[in-house]
Amino acid sequence: MKHFSKWKLGVWHGVASIISALYILPIFWMLANSLRRPGLPPPRSIEWLPNPAAWSNYPRLLELMPFGRYAFNSTVVAFGGVALTLLTASWAGFALAQFSQRWRRRWVGASIGLLVVPITALWLPRLVIYRYFNLLDGYGSLIAPAVMGTSPLFILLFYWAARRIPLEHFEAARLEGASAWQVWWQVMVPLSRATLLAVGTLAFVIYWGDFITPLLYLKSEELYTLPIALQQLYEMNHSNWPLMMAGAVLITFPPVVLFAIAQRYLLRDDLFAGFYER
Amino acid sequence: MRHKLNLVYHLQLGVMLAPYALGALVLIILPILLTFGLAFVDYYGFNTPHWVGLANLNWVLADPLEGVALGNSLYFLFWSVPLRMMAALLLALLLTRSQTGVGFYRAAVYLPTVMPEAVYALLWLWIVNPLYGPLNWILRGLGLPAPAWLADAATAKWVFVMMSVFQVGESFVVLIAGLKSIPLALYDAAVLDGATAWQSFWQITAPLLAPWFILLTFRDVIFSFQNTFTANLIMTRGDPYYATLFLPLLIYEEAFDHFRPGVSAVMLIFMFAVTAVLTALLYFVLPRFEMDHDL
Repeated sequence: MKHFSKWKLGVWHGVASIISALYILPIFWMLANSLRRPGLPPPRSIEWLPNPAAWSNYPRLLELMPFGRYAFNSTVVAFGGVALTLLTASWAGFALAQFSQRWRRRWVGASIGLLVVPITALWLPRLVIYRYFNLLDGYGSLIAPAVMGTSPLFILLFYWAARRIPLEHFEAARLEGASAWQVWWQVMVPLSRATLLAVGTLAFVIYWGDFITPLLYLKSEELYTLPIALQQLYEMNHSNWPLMMAGAVLITFPPVVLFAIAQRYLLRDDLFAGFYER
Repeated sequence: MRHKLNLVYHLQLGVMLAPYALGALVLIILPILLTFGLAFVDYYGFNTPHWVGLANLNWVLADPLEGVALGNSLYFLFWSVPLRMMAALLLALLLTRSQTGVGFYRAAVYLPTVMPEAVYALLWLWIVNPLYGPLNWILRGLGLPAPAWLADAATAKWVFVMMSVFQVGESFVVLIAGLKSIPLALYDAAVLDGATAWQSFWQITAPLLAPWFILLTFRDVIFSFQNTFTANLIMTRGDPYYATLFLPLLIYEEAFDHFRPGVSAVMLIFMFAVTAVLTALLYFVLPRFEMDHDL
């Protein structure tokens, strides 16, 4: 790529900084608002940071609702969902990559077909299916999609990752008498760490932030997850914004931290490099 | 012996594929079939279903709300998808080059995409609050008119459009991958031929990025059709005067609030039909670009 002249580079940084600031601004407002003293009348003019900053909204959350219990539920669901997704999705991608070309094409085509099924279409029939399997009102109904790797996209990502590994690597291990699981563990897993981390992060964002599934399939309050707790906070009092934003900050914190760690892999150029490969 | 080993190994691969295959069968294929069944019966979640023929379809056709919701969803699609795709494309073009600091900018752009949906909805409810929300502070500060946003039927849908334009991380990342896949030699050759940056863009970047862009656009249409739900439920529930009643919210309300799963299933079949048409288009449009891709 040709190099920018000095002043062009300055312009590029300027434009990129302004756009980045625009995308970070909502999150900044969330943080700033969570530090407002409760009960204070809403600001009448632009207020970037409340003065003095009040941290009292955070402990107040714990008094108002069993926040710890909800955080525990969210953690169980997120970790269960991520672990199962990584296992089943990387197994499927690994297996597909070693099929004959004809079958690879069929499975990749079918997976892309499954990708376009609207989620909305699954809410109601899944209720019927979960009831049949006695999964309703339990962690099972929240984690169930992880059995199929959560999303066909994740299977495709692992498939592309496996296709980037030369087949001879698999063959060599196999000729030494290794089973498919051993080849997966000894060759595929170490060579697809970036994809594992990237898919793990995407799956964590899905399970941690999932609002619709618990809304549809949970009844018992002691099983509620954090996004449902946040909605309850809003239903309790429509105008206590500092408290709601404090809850929002706590819920946003884990995925943002994970993203900060994983972004090097998630925003890598070759993660989606197989996207157009048929 | 060698052959037998091969067979055992492939059986093991089949077992590793099984969770995905069976899971997709039970959690995606079976639900689609069930939806078609539900559309023709009276099932309320506890009774034995009876065949009711086209009664559910007639209900949908007679209810004016269904048309309103479909219209609202199409209005949202019409504005949201082009704006989202343009935003993703411009951001990708800006942030493709390998330059110190580009990692930070890319991460910043992706950040709103990793926020939990419920948080994102509440946050925007605060941002567009007409009296003390920060968006109107800024508009007033600039001397611009400060609309009532969600309280006004004329601007309410635009809040959802604005929200969606900040969550374009996935398309953005895929487009960067697409741009990086274009061989640099093509640009070098164009420069030698005396092409301007503008000509290079239209003659190299545009045709080679087109398949990625089209595929993402189709995905975005399908995604945007349903993406409004969480924000819709938390922020407006369809108010004011059904101005923000989008299709997924109505499907949810029919099935889970009004206990009319059959009616909800009919609407889902409409949604399938739209999706099917779009997917068919995808299949007919894409191969033509593939030839360009193999340049």
